Amino acid sequence: MAKGKERVWGFFRFVILAGVGFVVLYPLIYMVSCAFRERIDMTDPTVMWIPRHYTLDIIKETWRAMEMGKTLRTTLILNVGCSLVQVVSCAVTGYGFARFNFRGKKLLFGIVIMMILVPPQLISLPMYTQFRFFGIKGVFSVNLIDSMLTMYLPAMTANGIRSGLMILIFRQFFKGLPRELEDAACIDGCGPLMTFVRVMVPNAASAFLTVFLFSVVWYWNDYYVSTSFFTNTQTVATVLYDLDTILSRALYGNANIKASARELIVWKEAGCLMSILPILIMYIFLQKHFTEGIERSGLAT
Amino acid sequence: MSSSKKRRVLTYGRRRQLCGWGFISLWLVGTVMFFLIPLVKSLWYSFNTVTIEPGQINTQWKGLAKYTYVLDDAKFTAALESTLVETLWKTPLILIFSMFIAVVLNQKFRGRALARAVFFLPVIIVTGPVFKIINGDIDSTGSRTAEQFSTMMSTDLVDELMQFLGIYGLSDKMSVIIGAVADNIFGIVWSSGIQIVLFLAAIQNIPPSAREAAMLEGASAWEYFWKITFPYLSPFILANLIFTVIDSFTSPMNAVMARILRMKSEVLYGEASAMAWIYFAIILAMIGIVSWIVNKFIYYEND
Repeated sequence: MAKGKERVWGFFRFVILAGVGFVVLYPLIYMVSCAFRERIDMTDPTVMWIPRHYTLDIIKETWRAMEMGKTLRTTLILNVGCSLVQVVSCAVTGYGFARFNFRGKKLLFGIVIMMILVPPQLISLPMYTQFRFFGIKGVFSVNLIDSMLTMYLPAMTANGIRSGLMILIFRQFFKGLPRELEDAACIDGCGPLMTFVRVMVPNAASAFLTVFLFSVVWYWNDYYVSTSFFTNTQTVATVLYDLDTILSRALYGNANIKASARELIVWKEAGCLMSILPILIMYIFLQKHFTEGIERSGLAT
Repeated sequence: MSSSKKRRVLTYGRRRQLCGWGFISLWLVGTVMFFLIPLVKSLWYSFNTVTIEPGQINTQWKGLAKYTYVLDDAKFTAALESTLVETLWKTPLILIFSMFIAVVLNQKFRGRALARAVFFLPVIIVTGPVFKIINGDIDSTGSRTAEQFSTMMSTDLVDELMQFLGIYGLSDKMSVIIGAVADNIFGIVWSSGIQIVLFLAAIQNIPPSAREAAMLEGASAWEYFWKITFPYLSPFILANLIFTVIDSFTSPMNAVMARILRMKSEVLYGEASAMAWIYFAIILAMIGIVSWIVNKFIYYEND
């Protein structure tokens, strides 16, 4: 009886998971299916998933239109660089909030929570003026717009994209580590900084991995901040954002010709595939550690 | 003796205090420069007419004029209404869905690792422009260039899913309802990544003792869910709720945000700031009310 019940539920579970998994994977399968087919297959009603004519032309054309070589280099220097810097600065801040008591801590931590709640759109305009006239009022000011510092400075000071959330994750994690670790290090003559670097960081590997993955993904996907402070940057996300225009210009030689969405699909899908492939590969390698990391990071306690 | 001991404790405490300040000092400087000052400035702008001249920014005090102007803007209020209504009905669906999936993913079955990898996949894509393209929604200029693509995709999706599940020829009314839900299944599934991860982590933190007690008492799976799983998950319902609301708030497909950006591109900075503050205030109030209600039903183990 119980076994039969189990089997029925197992079947239902399979149907549900397969159905939802299909919804998740559909766009990805569609991307792969589109990127390697020739255009005539788009209008061929017999072709749904498996193309009749294979070609690499679409990939090549999209690569050229998006100037992928240059774009990837900028993304690597700007977005991935910032995301790494931010992981370090958020870890230091989170550790400070987790292991030390000082006056005003509650208030300051309240600000961290505020940072999670306030959307970046609310402060992006004053941020622009902040960077446009960076310095001390009446003494000196420099124009930082279009400089990489507009993204590196906030990242260095744990104020970059979604940094509040990252500080929170690190704080929860460091709070969960046993006090004895610290005491042992103290007896061995480690100062607070040394304790952090030598004892705490190695023990927080899974938290670092989790935050690292989030950080890279959020910076990789960001187009809002990158377009706010730069007049002309080409990161993967900003190129993708203007994909219609870029493709029209590259394919028809004129940005004003708006090709119909259906006509552009193959190139758009190819562009999507190329832009998420790097983080997709990273995810495939890290996903096991990633889910375990969240379970252990104490986010759930 | 005792006084010297006391002094030593104090100095140790003070040293720890200083260290604490040391660890957060970098963040503090950054927060003042890149968060607090901009926040205050943005509030200030919302009461002013802002003009940018080469070399400086001029503000002219207008009192509440920007707010009344913004509230008279039909496009803004329409966007506000549709976004709020959408958040209201989508959030519970996302929470129920992600809790259900988390419970299922926690069971032991073959291919579980693969299922988890697939279900968390949206986490890495949903914040970026790729999601916008595959969801085929309104682009930044407000035109629906990708409409055709979007409809093609969602109808295909519904049909295929239905056929996949072996559902044919339902009554008309039924299929309309299912169609409406199915049209949004994509959005709901894709917005549930982090929520599933959090719920799953919470489920795995349920103490084994609670589980054993339930087994001994002979609880059915249904009872187990309501008596054990659900109470332990309840604090995360609130966390996930807040996360879901914030996520929809900052989503690139949010109509209100699109309107604010539009204002900004027309150099109406005062109006844009007023809009952002109104929206932020409504969201904060919503989160506040809901947390107050939900908090009454939450079970905290440590209390």
